[in-house]
Amino acid sequence: MQTSQVRITVNGCVIDTEPTRSILEAMIDAGETLIDGVGCMGQGVCGSCRVLVRRQGESEVLSALACETRACEGLQVAFLDHLPMHRHHVYAMDDWNGDSWRILERINATFPEAQHCRHCGGCDSACPKHLQVHKGVMLAAAGDLSAAECFDECIMCDLCTIACPELISPNHLGLYVRRLSTAIGFRPADLVLRLHQIERGEMVIDQDVASTQP
Amino acid sequence: MTHRPVLLAPTAAVGADLDAWLQNGGAEGLRHALAAPERIIPALAHAGLRGMGGAGFPTHRKWSSVAGQSAGDKYVLCNGNEDEPGTFKDRHLLSASPHQVIEGALIAAVAVDANHVLLYVNPHQHEALKSTRSAIEQWRASGLLAPIERRLGLRLALDVVESSGRYIGGEETAVIATIEGGFPFPRRKPPYPAESGVHGRPTLINNVETLANVTHILRHGADWYRALGIGGACGTKLYSLSGDVLEPGLFELPMGTSLRELVFTHGGGMLGPLAFKAVFTGGPSNTLLTADDLDVALDFDAVAQRGSRLGTGAMIVISAGTSIVRKVAEYVDFFAAGSCGQCTPCKTGTYQLSRLLRRIDTGVGVQADLRALESLCALLPGSGRCGLVDGAVTVVRSSMQQFREEYEHQLIG
Repeated sequence: MQTSQVRITVNGCVIDTEPTRSILEAMIDAGETLIDGVGCMGQGVCGSCRVLVRRQGESEVLSALACETRACEGLQVAFLDHLPMHRHHVYAMDDWNGDSWRILERINATFPEAQHCRHCGGCDSACPKHLQVHKGVMLAAAGDLSAAECFDECIMCDLCTIACPELISPNHLGLYVRRLSTAIGFRPADLVLRLHQIERGEMVIDQDVASTQP
Repeated sequence: MTHRPVLLAPTAAVGADLDAWLQNGGAEGLRHALAAPERIIPALAHAGLRGMGGAGFPTHRKWSSVAGQSAGDKYVLCNGNEDEPGTFKDRHLLSASPHQVIEGALIAAVAVDANHVLLYVNPHQHEALKSTRSAIEQWRASGLLAPIERRLGLRLALDVVESSGRYIGGEETAVIATIEGGFPFPRRKPPYPAESGVHGRPTLINNVETLANVTHILRHGADWYRALGIGGACGTKLYSLSGDVLEPGLFELPMGTSLRELVFTHGGGMLGPLAFKAVFTGGPSNTLLTADDLDVALDFDAVAQRGSRLGTGAMIVISAGTSIVRKVAEYVDFFAAGSCGQCTPCKTGTYQLSRLLRRIDTGVGVQADLRALESLCALLPGSGRCGLVDGAVTVVRSSMQQFREEYEHQLIG
């Protein structure tokens, strides 16, 4: 079936494509060379194809992932370079012996800016995975490690960091609480089993089998 | 042509000394205002006074809009945040002659029935802050406020508020947010400050230079003020001249003076043997004027016809041999650092503009970078709560139009 063509502008290049194609697919179809700002080639898991988009006739400019945004007539797209962190959060996971009385203290010491949340909801609307980012930040700032669940599917695309006016990096905070909750909680049984199997030598790969060769 | 300065007149430069100000005709404008409050706004309209803080919006329209609001708490804010590169007029007025500014703000309070008059001063400008504080103390002790309070039927609160010292703090809704005790985050308009400003009350915000002019218009009359300008323009303007000129400085010239006269007569011409290349008008957020525009009259309308804006009256002159790309990159860096971060497109857009400009400037840019730059300039305008991102785009776009070959020359492929 012949679908109607739409014309979009990506980084100043005019591309004719179909409305079923994503921005990224349209770029590849058009033969554009992708050097950076792309990792998983459209799987929606690497979070590196950050773009600003403006739809025809709208004044609002939104952030999005190019692989998850469909082309539409008159869409303007500008790719964003990686965003340098406002500050680097340095922490070690192995020096506290899982002392859960000190969770709040540790989160506050490592991410003091999480207390400054203005509850603007910018992170929630920016998240391409529709995670409950704001809720996660609130829980983490209160020392509640169930915050880790809010960030389970985070792909670290930094769009929430870009959106936050208080320079909180919700995704990095999320990663931190995920690490904390793992450090303090039970190890997953299937992972423990597999590690044992590896140690016992049950998982050795026979390099002579043809299918193991690249 | 000879002209006599008004705002920079020696009789106005009395520092914080109120007695000296009163001996030199001070408070006369206020007396005229109190004698016929209903005639203040028509006088400003006739005088053709416009906002000197950058926008050039007719002052009387702002004032009548606030005056027309229902009675109750009303605010007059004098915006002395002044933080953009190349502008240094307000700090001079506040430190050398704060009384003409305060008197202008009090006249505004009479005209719009405001019971709060706040001078919003950048704390990084120590002299201006000290002088304004001292001047305000003297006005409070003088008894000159009593007639205003009698007219209002309310106590008049006259005070100084320190700004955050950030560029964004000069945006009018950010001024309001600061006065309310918050961070200088701009708000969406409408509602406009005239309807809902400080604590939701009608608020009049004017630049320091605008209010200083009000004092003189009320003292000498609107006809006198109109006659000060050249051609169709009215009054005088403070020009902050800087860059590659022999004698940079602050000049008060008739509105409508040509760029050529400002640079080559008052500024003493170019520094060294290099030719005039361009001038950044009104600070970094406006378009450039080139050698072809030297005869443009520096007033709001004539400059606007050239697609530029007079802005604050800052004129940053650059000479041949100065890289436009680098200059623009520096200004865009200023915006990227000054973005408050509330609006994603402004926060990341200014940063992305800066990255692309730096890439081109340092000789690693390619054709695609230039295209990306143009594409951002088309995408970003109007996407923020305030005009910060628009300002950054304006200077990039204008420099690309006028000096495109320079951009292309810098590319490696």
